[in-house]
Amino acid sequence: MRVVIGEDEALLRHGLSLVLEGGGFEVVAAAGDAVELEHAVARHLPELVITDIRMPPSHSDEGLLAALRIREKYPDTAVVVLSQHMQRRYAKELLSSSSGKVGYLLKQRIADVDTFLGQLREVASGGMALDPDVVALMVARAKQSNGAIRALTPRQQEVLGLMAEGRSNSRIAEELFLSEKAVVQHTSRIYDSLNLALDGDSHRRVLAVMHFLGDN
Amino acid sequence: MTSGLAAADTLDDMAQKAPRLKLARSLDRSLIVIFLAGLALACIQWVLLPINGPMGNVMMLFPLMTVVFLLAGLRAWHRRPANRLGALILFAGFAFFLGGLGNTGIPVFVAASTVGATLILAVIVHMLHAFPSGRLHGRLSKFTVLAAYVNSLVLQAPSYLFSTDPDAPFLAIADSPDVATLARMLQQWLGAVVMVATAFVLIRRLVQAAPGQRRVLAPLFAYGAFAVCMVPIGSHVLIPLLGLSREMNAAVQLLVLGGIPLAFGHGIIRGGFAKTGELEELGSWLGAAGGARSALAAALARALGDPTATLSFWLPRHGVFVNEDGSPAPLEAQGANRGQEEIVLGTRKVGAIAYDKTVVEEPALVRAAGQVVAIAVDRERLTVELQESYGALQRSRERLVDTADRERRRIARDLHDGLQMQLVLLALEAQNLAKSAGADAAAAERATHLRQGIDAAAAELRQLVHAVMPAALIERGLAAAAEDLADRMPIPTTLELQLDGGPLSSAVEHTAYFVLAEALSNALKHSQASQIQVRLADGDGWLRLSVHDDGMGGADLHTGTGLRGMGDRVDVLGGFLELSSAPGEGTLIKVDLPCA
Repeated sequence: MRVVIGEDEALLRHGLSLVLEGGGFEVVAAAGDAVELEHAVARHLPELVITDIRMPPSHSDEGLLAALRIREKYPDTAVVVLSQHMQRRYAKELLSSSSGKVGYLLKQRIADVDTFLGQLREVASGGMALDPDVVALMVARAKQSNGAIRALTPRQQEVLGLMAEGRSNSRIAEELFLSEKAVVQHTSRIYDSLNLALDGDSHRRVLAVMHFLGDN
Repeated sequence: MTSGLAAADTLDDMAQKAPRLKLARSLDRSLIVIFLAGLALACIQWVLLPINGPMGNVMMLFPLMTVVFLLAGLRAWHRRPANRLGALILFAGFAFFLGGLGNTGIPVFVAASTVGATLILAVIVHMLHAFPSGRLHGRLSKFTVLAAYVNSLVLQAPSYLFSTDPDAPFLAIADSPDVATLARMLQQWLGAVVMVATAFVLIRRLVQAAPGQRRVLAPLFAYGAFAVCMVPIGSHVLIPLLGLSREMNAAVQLLVLGGIPLAFGHGIIRGGFAKTGELEELGSWLGAAGGARSALAAALARALGDPTATLSFWLPRHGVFVNEDGSPAPLEAQGANRGQEEIVLGTRKVGAIAYDKTVVEEPALVRAAGQVVAIAVDRERLTVELQESYGALQRSRERLVDTADRERRRIARDLHDGLQMQLVLLALEAQNLAKSAGADAAAAERATHLRQGIDAAAAELRQLVHAVMPAALIERGLAAAAEDLADRMPIPTTLELQLDGGPLSSAVEHTAYFVLAEALSNALKHSQASQIQVRLADGDGWLRLSVHDDGMGGADLHTGTGLRGMGDRVDVLGGFLELSSAPGEGTLIKVDLPCA
């Protein structure tokens, strides 16, 4: 799989490239700022883009804005955004920009190489991957809120959280010690509670997580 | 600016209400005597004039207009005692009165009127040259005015001495019509020269005047010149051109002349030209009003008749002049027309007056004004000095807050770019170790443990960086950062955001954020609240933050160092922090920050 990286720290850029190449990805370009990143994407049309949020020159959110633009311009290119800090707002912006093919992870997750590469593949194949940190925020908020999410059983909330992290049904079953069939039953009840009509499964997963993120 | 103007207005009132000095009261009495005498003359003229005759309606205008001259002249003299224009207007009134006497039919009055028949024209020329100070400046002006008087008094003489004037035949001493005709010709030529010279002087003054002054000068000069030309040539123009009767023509000429005292009197009082001072009034006002500082400068400007005059104070400690608010005053007055006179008390320099040299031509006048106000200036100087050091203290506090913010930012940036990144790389290394070929199961497990430990350290570091300077605040500003704070609250926290008044300064954003963070953390730690409501709104130049919990209350601004520190920050920005926390009623913290 062809990947373009956006990361201003040279050491980390190098480390990330090694991790990716070790996992069978092909790093076609590594950019040091957001402008360079978008140029590289336009030139290489990669299947996956991995970018830091904060990059030169203003060290603000230009990486995120570039990611949103890339998702809009190149629907076939999946985008994973890395950051030192998780914010619900960013996750919302990323997910609402598209029906999947996005990920939002803490930089520290790179080190758990197998999980990280799995999440990249999940995103590239049309799914999503939100960091457990953001998911924890969502779960905590859902407990306080009065919205539809609160009407879900604790088990369903747990399943929804793992869906947000980008786990497949079989992985969720494994994690929660359930049969895969039980997981499928949980997910369809979640879709029913949230009034999500029958559509592609991955699309409904994104919509369900969107509810989770935006629920007040 | 508006408040400054308002202050000047009240000052004007105060100065007028202030008791006048003995000298000024004496002047007032003299003016009353002049008024009564003038009024009596006008009444006598009224009685003597043939009001019931064929031209009665026109005749009435002589005493009436005389009273207009009288009132306008006295008002100007009273309001600007040291300005000679008031006296000049009275003199013009006398010349006008003289013109009317010719119609009484009483020989001695007719003689006087005949001698001074054209005196009024010379006086108007004199007034035009002397405006606004009442004094003549420049040789050309002096010669022109002298020529005008010679023209109307000396060259007029042959017309009644050497020919038989039908009104005053008794004045003739010889009958030589040639001399009289020659004199009349000379008079016309000299009159023309006087008018050309006058036009030249006035146009030159208009060109040199400031735009604001020009607005007053131009119509006044135009009207004066019109009036002077109207009297001698009016009968040749109005009667044939407009078909006016002789009666109407005379009435129009008299009314035009009657406008002269009104125009000049108004000009010197309202036009901001009064260059000679009301130093007596200024002095008495100082004694009466106790001299509020900005009022002092305004009174000075008014007394000098120069609205642009400014007062600055000398700070010997710093060796600089400062304005009333303690800000440094420009050392050299800017512009070619600005003059500056130092105010000296004894041998000490206490301040300076900057003024417009085209309005106030004599530095001596400014010096005199400076001497009158020197003691008050010295007293105000101390206030200004205090204000200057308060300003310096305030700026220093702002710098401290600013520096603290910049340090926080720097630390957060360093941790983000340095330590956090290294922890990622270290964890990667540990992971590589776990998966490396030569590792046995136990070593691999220990390496994985190591990575998890590093990840835990990284999580703690994230918390620390977040507390020092949250990413959301740097990346997206206050609204996003407040949202992130609320997201991470373990108890239900509603956030109401109404921020649409444009971008906020980083000092305001940071202060609002850290106050909010402190308030939320206090509520969590101490209040046992079950829910919190946060409101952030901007409008009318203020950012308003309120944090309301339903906990046990009893919070005190003076016991917790955290909140007190926040209070200091708010104070530095000129904002307000309000805490109401009655026991059992929850805690409400309100912060207003100016953000215009």
